Amino acid sequence: MSDWMFKKIGLLERGLDAVWKRNEIIADNIANVDTPGFKASSLEFESLLAEELELNDSAVKIHKSRDKHMDNITLSNDSIKPVITKNENLTMRMDGNNVDIDREMASLAKNNLLYNALIQKISGELGRIRMAVQEGRK
Amino acid sequence: MGIFRSMSISASGLTAQRLRMDVISQNIANEKTTRTANGTPYRRRVTVFQAQEQDFASVLSRESGMTGAGSAEDILSGGGVKVTAIQEDMSPLKRVYDPEHPDADADGYVNMPNVDITKEIIDMMSASRAYEANVTAFNTSKSMALKALEIGR
Repeated sequence: MSDWMFKKIGLLERGLDAVWKRNEIIADNIANVDTPGFKASSLEFESLLAEELELNDSAVKIHKSRDKHMDNITLSNDSIKPVITKNENLTMRMDGNNVDIDREMASLAKNNLLYNALIQKISGELGRIRMAVQEGRK
Repeated sequence: MGIFRSMSISASGLTAQRLRMDVISQNIANEKTTRTANGTPYRRRVTVFQAQEQDFASVLSRESGMTGAGSAEDILSGGGVKVTAIQEDMSPLKRVYDPEHPDADADGYVNMPNVDITKEIIDMMSASRAYEANVTAFNTSKSMALKALEIGR
């Protein structure tokens, strides 16, 4: 029972993990903004998750009468994890470093917002579970 | 799970930029120094930065499978930056004609340090901006960690 109750939170948690990891990657890129030959890394998670959900979904997809209707969400297993890629191809400066500081600062802010959003979702979910548990007594 | 890893990565950046700033100050202060401890004119110093790999503990925990499968922990991010050396800039010294100078040679020329003040100031601005970027990254990590404490409130 606890399995389905916390399933959604489990998925959000993995999102949190990935976003936290991305924060580390961005911090590392920023710390190495003056290191000769350093190549910036980036972390991919959301698109992989979306892909996985799409794949797993196909068998049990709800019929949609309109394109803009929302999909049902089946929660996937733990097979997907974030992937870190180093951008080796691009060189921006004479010293071989390719950290774009503006880009990094922007993704830092974006990442922070995403983290807060995920936390809020988890809190909301926990709130609903709590309500279900407590209100039943009344 | 390294809650503090991203903060220590930013901290390594702060340390490195501060050291760079120290070296730049040293260069500016010694712009006209013609005599050092070993008798030669001062030479401009430069810091050498190197990207740091992740520390032993986290590599071990990954390799020994201590972390859960599929968790974000079993992939590695970098470990920040470190200053590996402070090297002397071996570009030629400036030769200035100044016969009255105590360190002038037989022809009246003095070897002045190869410090270019413009270059130092620009380096200083770059170090200062990089420091600020690291502070921002640190603050973001901190606010994220604080936010995580609010889960379920």
